[in-house]
Amino acid sequence: MPLIELRDVTKSYKRDAIDIPVLDRVSITVDAGDFLGLMGPSGSGKSTLLNLLAGIDRPSRGSIKIGDTEISSLSERALAGWRARHIGFIFQLYNLIPVLTAFENVELPLLLTSLSKAQRRDHVMTALGIVGLADRVKHYPRQLSGGQEQRVAIARAIVTDPTLLLADEPTGDLDAKSAGEVLTLLQRLNEEFKKTIVMVTHDPHAAERASHLLHLEKGTLVEQTVQRS
Amino acid sequence: MKFVGLILKSARRSKRRTFLTVISVAMAVFLFASLRAVLDGFNAGAEGSSSTRIVTQRSTSLIFTMPTSHAEQIRNTPGVQDLTWANWFGGIYKDPRNFFAQFAIEPESYLRMYPEIILTPEEKKAFLDDRTGCIVGDGLAGTYGFKVGDKITLKVGIPIYGQQDFDFNVRGIYHTKGGAVDNQSMWFHWKYADERSVAKGQTGWYVAQISNPDHAAEVSAAIDQKFANSPYETKTETEKAFQSSFVAMFGNINLLLGSIAVAVVISTLFVAGNTMAMSVRERTTEIAVMRTLGFPSGTIFMLIAGEGLLMSILGGLVGVGLAWLVVNPGVLPTGGFIPEIGLSTSNMITGLGLSVLIGVLAGLIPATMAARLKIVDALRRVA
Repeated sequence: MPLIELRDVTKSYKRDAIDIPVLDRVSITVDAGDFLGLMGPSGSGKSTLLNLLAGIDRPSRGSIKIGDTEISSLSERALAGWRARHIGFIFQLYNLIPVLTAFENVELPLLLTSLSKAQRRDHVMTALGIVGLADRVKHYPRQLSGGQEQRVAIARAIVTDPTLLLADEPTGDLDAKSAGEVLTLLQRLNEEFKKTIVMVTHDPHAAERASHLLHLEKGTLVEQTVQRS
Repeated sequence: MKFVGLILKSARRSKRRTFLTVISVAMAVFLFASLRAVLDGFNAGAEGSSSTRIVTQRSTSLIFTMPTSHAEQIRNTPGVQDLTWANWFGGIYKDPRNFFAQFAIEPESYLRMYPEIILTPEEKKAFLDDRTGCIVGDGLAGTYGFKVGDKITLKVGIPIYGQQDFDFNVRGIYHTKGGAVDNQSMWFHWKYADERSVAKGQTGWYVAQISNPDHAAEVSAAIDQKFANSPYETKTETEKAFQSSFVAMFGNINLLLGSIAVAVVISTLFVAGNTMAMSVRERTTEIAVMRTLGFPSGTIFMLIAGEGLLMSILGGLVGVGLAWLVVNPGVLPTGGFIPEIGLSTSNMITGLGLSVLIGVLAGLIPATMAARLKIVDALRRVA
């Protein structure tokens, strides 16, 4: 059952009145429960595609349907609400808030919900338990290793139980061991918790964990591979 | 409420910057509240003056005296019920730095016409019975430790009173009600000063009690008419106008102090606004991350504006607290030039209101910047 449907999505940026094309009529379908790897050289448009799926950028043309929602037609406010409910985003540089503890960072998306403090606490502890950092609740980002920071960021992404997990080179800033742990965690979220994941990566080892791979070059889709069904 | 913790955490991000911002707002509010209190002190005399008293002085200036022979003519003016007079003495208590106002008054009529001067019947009688007696305000008594029975010696400050020191017996410590009379002054018998004066029978101003305040202008004109084209032409006006003109001798205090207060507040507004904008610029990525997590731009606006408001209100509380501590007669003696100053509730509320205004205005642009941030551009800036 398709969760993501992109139809003829084109994206270009204007710089000094010149249109710079980034994506050119990209159409893809991702089923619920897939673990999709997006690969391609720098400037191929894979991060832009991820941003469009996250609803933090808008296509120049084309349609993006996630679940039952055509997100390209949502207002800014509606889109923010949609992101809060449906998207979990994992950044390459973790992007934790430095003045908040691990617990508070993970709790952040839940502040937008109507959950009580006790319910928020339960959700946060569950998410931190899944990433194996339940004993680090009071630690600030500066007190954590890179791999631990990324696992807290993953806990923050899954704490609202979103429809879709989007990861932008989640292992790009990690050593091999930490990268392996993060990828294993993502794979577990996909296989055990049936999370649909779209991951941008340069790393062929990381790409191996995905069930499907898409290769982008100069804004167009050049290859689609099924690694596991 | 659940966002308050987030605002507090953000405010503690750069403790030094937050501290300096709070202090800058505190200083602005402190100065504003203090200057307002001083202004109120200057205006208190006029505000608290009686509408049934009119004051006659020389038309040229208050510093020139006029003969006490005017008294009978003023008393006979239709509409005048009672009359008294007073003179500035200008004596020196031990050292010129110990400045306080001393007035030579016609004691019986003065105390009768100024019920704002409150003495016990015993003190009043002792004062009236003693030609060298004086009464001092409770504020002045507190400053110099004067007690009933003490002797006060004043050196002559104005040569017209000769060279010999004046000795006084403290016969009463008066309290005040209303702003027409301050509690930082000393009052004594006009006759005692007149005896030693080179120019006998002179006084600085007359105060007439009139029966109907609505006729103040007519009675004033009638008094001045009596002395027109004489060597001692007079200017008669209401006590309120007289008090205001006394304040005006210092220059346009309202404009001067008001301008200083406004300048301080505006510069603080820029400082606080710039600090907030700097803080937002440093947090561009964090704000973009929060927007990615689904925080609506309105919530981001509220968080940033709330942080500015929090710092500003905190500064306001510190500033008002400081003003409350400093602006009181114990710390800031006014030397009798103006009534005792103190921080009124309305000044405290205005000071706090001002801090809220600074917080709102200073946070407006940074909060708008943060709310309008384009997520992708902001993330790309660091990626």
